[in-house]
Amino acid sequence: MSKTLAKLLFALAAIVVLGAMPVQAASNLSGELEIFSWWAGDEGPALEALIDIYKKENPNVKVLNATVTGGSGVNAKAVLKTRMLGGNPPDSFQVHAGQELIGTWVKADRMEDLTPLFKEQGWMKVFPEGLIKNIGTDKGIWSVPVNIHRSNVLWYIPANLKKWGVEAPKTWDEFFAIAPKLKKQGIVPLALAQNWTANHLWESVALAALGPDKWDALWSGKLAFDSPEAVKAWELFGKILEYTNADASSLSWQQATDMVVDGRAAFNIMGDWAAGYMSTTKKLAPGSGFGWMASPGTGGAFMFLADSFGLPKGAPHRDNAIAWLTLLGSKEGSDAFNPLKGSISARTDSDLSKYNDYAKSASADFAKDRIVGSLAHGVTANETFMGDFATVMEMFLKTRNAAAAGKMAQQIAVKSGIGK
Amino acid sequence: MAKVELVNVSKRYGEVEVVRNIDLEIEDNEFIVLVGPSGCGKSTVLRMIAGLEPISGGDIRIGERVVNNVSPKSRNVAMVFQNYALYPHMTVRENMGFSLKMSKKSKSEIDERVTAAAEVLELDTLLERKPSELSGGQRQRVAMGRAIVRKPDVFLFDEPLSNLDAQLRTQMRMELKKLHMKLATTTIYVTHDQIEAMTLANRIVILKDGFIQQVGTPVEVFEKPANVFVAQFIGNPPMNILKGIFKTEEGRPVVQVGSSVFPLPNGQGSSLQSGAQVLVGIRPDAIKMGRSTERLPKEWLCQGEVIVSEILGGQSLLEIVIDGENKLIAEVEGRVIAQPGETVPIGFEFDRMVLFDPETTNALS
Amino acid sequence: MREVSRDRIKAFLTLLPSIILIAVFVYGFIGNTVWISMTDWGGVASLAENPQKNFVGLQNYVELFTGFLDARFRQDLVNAVYYSVLLLAGAVGLGMFIAILLDRKPRGEDFLRTVFLYPMSLSFIVTGTIWRWLLAPQGGVNIVPTFFGGEKLTFQWLSSKQALLLFNWQHLLPVLLYVVAFVLIIIGLFTLKGDTPKALKRYLLPGLGLGACVWLFGDLLPQIYFMEEMHGFNLATLGIILATIWQYSGYTMALYLAGFNGISQDLMDAARLDGASDWGYYRHVAIPMLKPITISAVIILSHISLKMFDLIFAMTGPDNAETGHPALNMYLTTFRANEFSKGAAIAIVLFLLAAMFIVPYLVSSYRQRRARS
Repeated sequence: MSKTLAKLLFALAAIVVLGAMPVQAASNLSGELEIFSWWAGDEGPALEALIDIYKKENPNVKVLNATVTGGSGVNAKAVLKTRMLGGNPPDSFQVHAGQELIGTWVKADRMEDLTPLFKEQGWMKVFPEGLIKNIGTDKGIWSVPVNIHRSNVLWYIPANLKKWGVEAPKTWDEFFAIAPKLKKQGIVPLALAQNWTANHLWESVALAALGPDKWDALWSGKLAFDSPEAVKAWELFGKILEYTNADASSLSWQQATDMVVDGRAAFNIMGDWAAGYMSTTKKLAPGSGFGWMASPGTGGAFMFLADSFGLPKGAPHRDNAIAWLTLLGSKEGSDAFNPLKGSISARTDSDLSKYNDYAKSASADFAKDRIVGSLAHGVTANETFMGDFATVMEMFLKTRNAAAAGKMAQQIAVKSGIGK
Repeated sequence: MAKVELVNVSKRYGEVEVVRNIDLEIEDNEFIVLVGPSGCGKSTVLRMIAGLEPISGGDIRIGERVVNNVSPKSRNVAMVFQNYALYPHMTVRENMGFSLKMSKKSKSEIDERVTAAAEVLELDTLLERKPSELSGGQRQRVAMGRAIVRKPDVFLFDEPLSNLDAQLRTQMRMELKKLHMKLATTTIYVTHDQIEAMTLANRIVILKDGFIQQVGTPVEVFEKPANVFVAQFIGNPPMNILKGIFKTEEGRPVVQVGSSVFPLPNGQGSSLQSGAQVLVGIRPDAIKMGRSTERLPKEWLCQGEVIVSEILGGQSLLEIVIDGENKLIAEVEGRVIAQPGETVPIGFEFDRMVLFDPETTNALS
Repeated sequence: MREVSRDRIKAFLTLLPSIILIAVFVYGFIGNTVWISMTDWGGVASLAENPQKNFVGLQNYVELFTGFLDARFRQDLVNAVYYSVLLLAGAVGLGMFIAILLDRKPRGEDFLRTVFLYPMSLSFIVTGTIWRWLLAPQGGVNIVPTFFGGEKLTFQWLSSKQALLLFNWQHLLPVLLYVVAFVLIIIGLFTLKGDTPKALKRYLLPGLGLGACVWLFGDLLPQIYFMEEMHGFNLATLGIILATIWQYSGYTMALYLAGFNGISQDLMDAARLDGASDWGYYRHVAIPMLKPITISAVIILSHISLKMFDLIFAMTGPDNAETGHPALNMYLTTFRANEFSKGAAIAIVLFLLAAMFIVPYLVSSYRQRRARS
């Protein structure tokens, strides 16, 4: 009897589930969905591709694509903050994964925990553990990463290196061995651009000087910025600056990349959006036209940054937003978005045939390398620290005083509560 | 103090000729008034003398010097403008002393000369004020003061009184006259107001369309206008111009106006053929009524019909028709009370009559 | 009497909505900003729904001027002074010069006027981008001399790390006193010709005395900061100043040109007859007459220079401390670093600086109006 009942119940449940399935696929969601981002211009089409899929799945939802352009998100973040303070949150907004989200929004108790969604969708398995650690706290997981970029990449033109008789350096010592030679030929050994790229270079250098474990220790508050090891990172950074171009602060990162492409500079350390720039704008073939490797001394480590979307508390259309986040984390969604954006998927199971050669190699590294977070792009430190770090960097660029920089950095780390 | 001489001076703006071949000799210390309707070129002549407009032809001489290519500041002329052209950001003292400052005179000299000029013009108490704190008449005096301070060879006035009200204008006119007598400096004065011209000038120059119509003393241009234009421009009300026919009757020259025939005084119209058309010019004040007609010869009297009469204090203005067709304006002494339509006896001072050629409008001798 | 009071009430009622709106949205918000600048709103959890704001008095201001981490703000403040002074001198001077040239009615004056005015219609972002290219180290302005057979310039317009007129922030008080003394002496020298006793008594002697005192006893003044911190005129700001002058000299030109055109021909003629040369006319008559225009140009430009933001953002980006400006710093501090209270404090400092320019102007124009009526 009870068995029959159980069977009956199971059948009923099956019918309900089966009946529910098509409803879910065609979705009975309606109303609006407002997505807030700074993706326009080059990144616009990638976002559009996602929105198209969402519209197909949820035909009754009206999608509002609110973009605020400019300043690599600085303006968008300001607008977002005023909206949130005014009690008018969008349904879902773009944010750099990691502390930029956690320090600003999670600590302010403005975000919903997405752990249930991660479990339900089985994302705990498909996203690398190191990534989940970086986008979550002990209280939950706070955003769905849409893409992964790598920060610690050294770029060069193989043909040029051959001409000059050098090889891409695997360590900074190797770099120091060849840099004077390049300099003598009138070639800038390492191209640098305006100030945020100095931060960008610094994190690759510091990762090389400290290694992944101590790098993580720095951000968990276990290693002080004025400790001898950390100060050494500044010293190494100062030494490397000797081999960069003097007009750096008036160049955009593209212009610094141009220096490498035009043969005025040998190397450039930049995030892997440079791959997209060189292959799309400069028409160079990945691998043969331009080459890359992990920045000196960071082989085996993958310093990532990611764009992600979160769910603010009080989102006006919460269900629509959850459907959006589900799409972002799905294989279909991430494989639609990333080839267009020039990034790789955060999922380890993505369909690599859709990606270009650089992305394939990066995906392979992402799956096997030690994952660490980027400072310059908001993963490891909150915005208060970032704001002041710009001042520390300025001070260092002016004075080249490693000990003072370490001390200053420690002060701001304490002030902004790093590792708490 | 200097003579000013214009020889065959002309001014063209592109194709348009605004001043045509003017010859004029202005004596030392003379007060000469350029008068004419607007657009006659009188201000242009003044500005050419000042050097503010280059001349297109001819020569201008100040003193013995040809100044055609001399810059305004080196001509040693001073000008008073219609709107005074005071420097609004300077005090009266600074305004008056500006030209001296520009010619690098010493501070004490500037002070001395400004103070002296201010005394003459009764501006002593206003020296520290700004132009915006002065009345129209005071500004006018400052503008004159600015001219006097320089001790120029020639004063140039460009309609200096036309921004003042009637009463002040009369008063300033007198002061100008006194000032000229005191300073005895060659003065060239432009106005469109024939009363100013009559009262101020040693000689009047009447201009029209860039041509000089007549040069003469006030009495000359009033009594012996060179043409109909001058006759009607000078004098208010203007000279009456009637159509007439010149004839010789009984060996005497006469002129027939309508049906009335008037004998001409000695020698007038001697160059004319009998039966020639003429224009007869007669000043309103040469028409007499009532008792003052008694002194006139009988042939100069006739009857007229009053159309309208106005009493202007001591005199009266009447519009009269004679012979049913010729309208006249008469300005007579005393208060004449006449009803419209009333026929009154009137008389003409025919010795003050002027004959004009109807073709050329020039006066006939 | 009753008529009058009824009129008054009507007038008051008509104005009431705007009075309320301005009171709330201008003065209310200024007040709110002052309040926020005296709290500790910032850092972690500053964006919570009900963020904690504790009153801390003037601590934010003290930190800005003497705090270890706020050296950048101090350099920005120094930059702002140089931006203002050089923009004023440059735009007013150049604008006046072009206006004088165009006032001579050269051929094609209309066309040239439009050409010179045109940059003002551009957005600062466009101007910034254009000038950023022009001032790039490898091209633009730097290769101009090569067209005349000269050497390529190597000056780094936007990225130079050089600075002139360096002073130690520690010695801010003596430096400020020196500046005051210097200004007094300069004014004294200028008025010396006109009113000698006044110049001596009011300006020269106090100026010299103050300078001497600071020179002799300056060491006794309290030091404002605990360590050496050098600030000066960063040469990297030259490029930005150049672009701003380029953009605004057309505007001052238009102001002056309109002023010059408004001066009657008679006044010009009078000056010529009074013996003023062309230069003398402008020096003694036209330019002094346009003092109101000069004053309004100074006020408009100085408040523009205090709000300079987009141009710097476009030319050197947000994080270039060499060319920084308090307005940019305020934005970054508030909206990037989430230090709302400190951002508010910077805003108030800027507000007070702007008031320093505008309040004396308002007072004097109010007095003038009263004197006239």
